[in-house]
Amino acid sequence: MANFAQYVAKETTSNLWRNRVTTAAAVFTVMISLFLVGASLVLGLGASNATTAWEKGTLVSVFMQPSATAQELAAIKAELDAYPFVHGCYYQTQHDDWLEAQKQLTATELSVLTEADIPSSYRCVPNQPQDAQLVIDHFSGQPGVFKVNAPVKTLKTLQRIITTAQWSVLIVALVLLASSAVLILNTIRMAIFARRREVAVMKLVGATNWFIRVPFIFEGLAQGFIGSALAAALVWGGEGLWRLWGSRVDPGSLVHLMLLSNWQLFFTEVVVVLVGMVIGALGSAIAIRRFLDV
Amino acid sequence: MIKLENVTKTYKNGTVALSNVSLEIEKGEFVFLVGSSGSGKTTFLRLLLREELPDSGAIWEAGRDIVNLPKWRVPYLRRNLGCVFQDFRLLQNKTVFENVAFALEVIGRPKSVIQTQVPQVLELVGLADKSGNLPTELSGGEQQRVAIARAFVNRPLILLADEPTGNLDPKISEGIMGLLDRINKTGTTVVMATHDKALVDRMRLRVIELDHGSLVRDQMRGVYGIDDVGTVG
Repeated sequence: MANFAQYVAKETTSNLWRNRVTTAAAVFTVMISLFLVGASLVLGLGASNATTAWEKGTLVSVFMQPSATAQELAAIKAELDAYPFVHGCYYQTQHDDWLEAQKQLTATELSVLTEADIPSSYRCVPNQPQDAQLVIDHFSGQPGVFKVNAPVKTLKTLQRIITTAQWSVLIVALVLLASSAVLILNTIRMAIFARRREVAVMKLVGATNWFIRVPFIFEGLAQGFIGSALAAALVWGGEGLWRLWGSRVDPGSLVHLMLLSNWQLFFTEVVVVLVGMVIGALGSAIAIRRFLDV
Repeated sequence: MIKLENVTKTYKNGTVALSNVSLEIEKGEFVFLVGSSGSGKTTFLRLLLREELPDSGAIWEAGRDIVNLPKWRVPYLRRNLGCVFQDFRLLQNKTVFENVAFALEVIGRPKSVIQTQVPQVLELVGLADKSGNLPTELSGGEQQRVAIARAFVNRPLILLADEPTGNLDPKISEGIMGLLDRINKTGTTVVMATHDKALVDRMRLRVIELDHGSLVRDQMRGVYGIDDVGTVG
């Protein structure tokens, strides 16, 4: 057994070295495609992190007409308190909203506004994030209400953009993965061709089929593994840069919200390495089936 | 040791390589297989090696039915068979020692066995002093000796030789023949396909002649050609 392990290690490394140019091509293609797979995973996990964070903090704002009467304000408050989908609300006066507007609007926009033009508002937390739409539908158009809104639409748009990006990256990654499997297949085919005399002698003297096959399988696995290990390193580095960026921006920003937990990063790396080894095994298995006559 | 019963082999293109051949070869025998090119000698050897399967008929080797042998058992069958070819089939990038050791390595023999058996067999074929040379540094006769050493290092029950002297001059051929004879004397059954008339006539061993796939002669203490029988007596 120890002999066999030694033999496989020797044969695998000498095969890889002998075909080093094609091996390098296969390894780098595996690396790039798996880096993209990893990037797509990071994006997907990040998007779900951000969505969760946003949903937790979803606020529905019921803006009242600046001209709303005290009765109208009281009626809406009473109805909000009684409404089953609302967890709780607080009231922002016109002055509070004017201060908030000053932060969000540009100087030009502000120059045409006065505090009296700004609506006061109830800021409510729905029971469930998805209840926000119900609150919007129920209170829009009620007497004294100017407008009801929640960041639902913005959220959806952002999610859509991230999902599109994720799928595009994934499709490119899959095409590249297919080509890396073909490249690995080709290097194994060349290795089989280069060793055809040895294989013929091995068959003649009674080497078992698995004894002949295993070094080639390991060669494919090694290519997949080296490529995926490099890809995992790239994903790790990329994620590290993202973390650095995330630590320097506002905690409420997208970049920060999308940051992965250590477990998520670990999961991504494991997937990347496993996919790489599967690609390697697949490439060599096909090559052996088609080109190695044992 | 080897037994064929009504063995027929036809190739896909319609060529009848062997037709209804039955024969038996005892343990320790030395048999010459003669016949013109295309008579079926090589097919005969390939069937014994189980590189081919017959269309019909049965083949036994060392008591085993090799036609119905499962595919995964074939390597174990071949460990009992040594094989030598006209073109030597040595690995050019390995030394004499490594070429012979390779045959033991790939069937999982431990290093200690390799270290003792390889020098022994190289001594037997008279190449103990060339163990570090590459095949390209050897003469044809020496290369064939390496091939024989490789075939014999695992002490097979049967040695199959397909025109082992086909590429060698008569004097060298004599040496190779002597070597095969010595291997035979150790109890190994030898089947040798050959065109070498002088050799066959001098050795006076069992001769099996094939013609267009049919067994036309099986003669103890035979000679190369049927026409020679009368003259040699």
